[in-house]
Amino acid sequence: MRLKTKFSGCAVPALLFTTLLAGCATPPPVSDTADYQAYQQQNDPLEPTNRFFYKVNDKIDTYAFKPVAQGYVDITNQPVRTHVGNFITNIGEPARLVNFMLEGKPRLAGTALVRFLVDSTVGIGGIFDPAGSVGYPETDTDFGLTLAVWGVPAGPYLYLPVFGPSGARDVLNLPVEFYATPMEAAPASTALTDFGYSETGIHLINTRAEYIQPIDQIQATALDPYATFRSLYRQSRDSQLQQIDKADQPTAPDWAASQH
Amino acid sequence: MHLRRFILSSFAAAPMLAFMAGAADAQMVPADAAKAFITSSGQQLVSIVNGSASDAQKADQLRQLVDNIVAVDQVGDYVLGRYINVATPDQHSQFLSLFHQLLSYNITYQIKAYQGITFTVNSAAPMGNDMVVDTTITSPGKAPADVGWAVDEVGGSPKIVDVIVAGTSLRITTRNDYASVITDNGGQVSALLSAMQAQINRIAGQ
Repeated sequence: MRLKTKFSGCAVPALLFTTLLAGCATPPPVSDTADYQAYQQQNDPLEPTNRFFYKVNDKIDTYAFKPVAQGYVDITNQPVRTHVGNFITNIGEPARLVNFMLEGKPRLAGTALVRFLVDSTVGIGGIFDPAGSVGYPETDTDFGLTLAVWGVPAGPYLYLPVFGPSGARDVLNLPVEFYATPMEAAPASTALTDFGYSETGIHLINTRAEYIQPIDQIQATALDPYATFRSLYRQSRDSQLQQIDKADQPTAPDWAASQH
Repeated sequence: MHLRRFILSSFAAAPMLAFMAGAADAQMVPADAAKAFITSSGQQLVSIVNGSASDAQKADQLRQLVDNIVAVDQVGDYVLGRYINVATPDQHSQFLSLFHQLLSYNITYQIKAYQGITFTVNSAAPMGNDMVVDTTITSPGKAPADVGWAVDEVGGSPKIVDVIVAGTSLRITTRNDYASVITDNGGQVSALLSAMQAQINRIAGQ
């Protein structure tokens, strides 16, 4: 709590400074209370720029990502997509281990380590998730959430070209994610580079395929899809943070509980 | 410092208190009653969706079911949020009528994608003023979805007041969606009403 107040004093203006070069929204007058409160709550001072990139991404999605994802769904079935999802999740476990350690969540760090070791071996390189079925379920985290645990506030909303919804805090996750993969630890080779590209590509397509129906639905039913995605992004980040706290409770695993 | 924090936190708590006072007349539904309500609602929903009626008949049946099991007016007021004080009584009733229509359209749209669904009720736990019942919805060729249904007592019987998917609340999302339309149009509630009407016309024209 104390950290939060300290950070909000310096981190946000610094981050803002780097992004404020683009277009800004005009805040409504303070006297117009309902509107002013809504503006504050939206915390989206770069809305015009964000909306521009939203439109750009929407075009890229309509003409590239979505058709590819649709084609991928046509030639695969749900079990295949689940195994691909497991494989991608497994590659992310070492980064999660480091982030959970930084967050001071030893229990979750241990779970991430066990998951990576068990799923990479027994789970044949992460295609299967045996660790999940023996009491080590996945909890997601990333550097943005680590910063949140440290008390850095989410800051203004950002909609990034290609990457999509983010924020002044969560955007710092991008460079970290780029380096925090097991591929970085292996000696450089052409095969490894190719593997990295394929992994990124399949990750994007598999994830987009998972969201075909919900995204279609939002675009068909929301009055303002941009604002709807913004709200969903923020709620989902809050929920991830709560999940981390909830999952780090010290409870006995199933195998230990059954022995008593 | 302490005083400042106290004052700040009491400011922060003020809207929450107002919200709680507004909801004070609503009683928390016991976990078992909420589960029973969601189980029976789910069965009705599944029998309509997987039934052999035509799409138009199904839409009618769904509309009736939604009016029976969802506290549409209460959800509507929640979604309108702070603008309920800005809207004229006329605009308010017009909003609720449009909200009823849009909700039915949205649910019907969603249901189309869920042909052949099965519905399992897991557990119930209190969250805020509501009892949230966790369910798993599976449909052929899709990954199972965990959906939470927030149940509250409205007018003496349990009603659905929110749907929670992956930690995101449908009523909060809709409130933010609608608020954005209003703020983008200089705080005019009438802009929201015409956007809702345009959406209904668009869907009806399809």
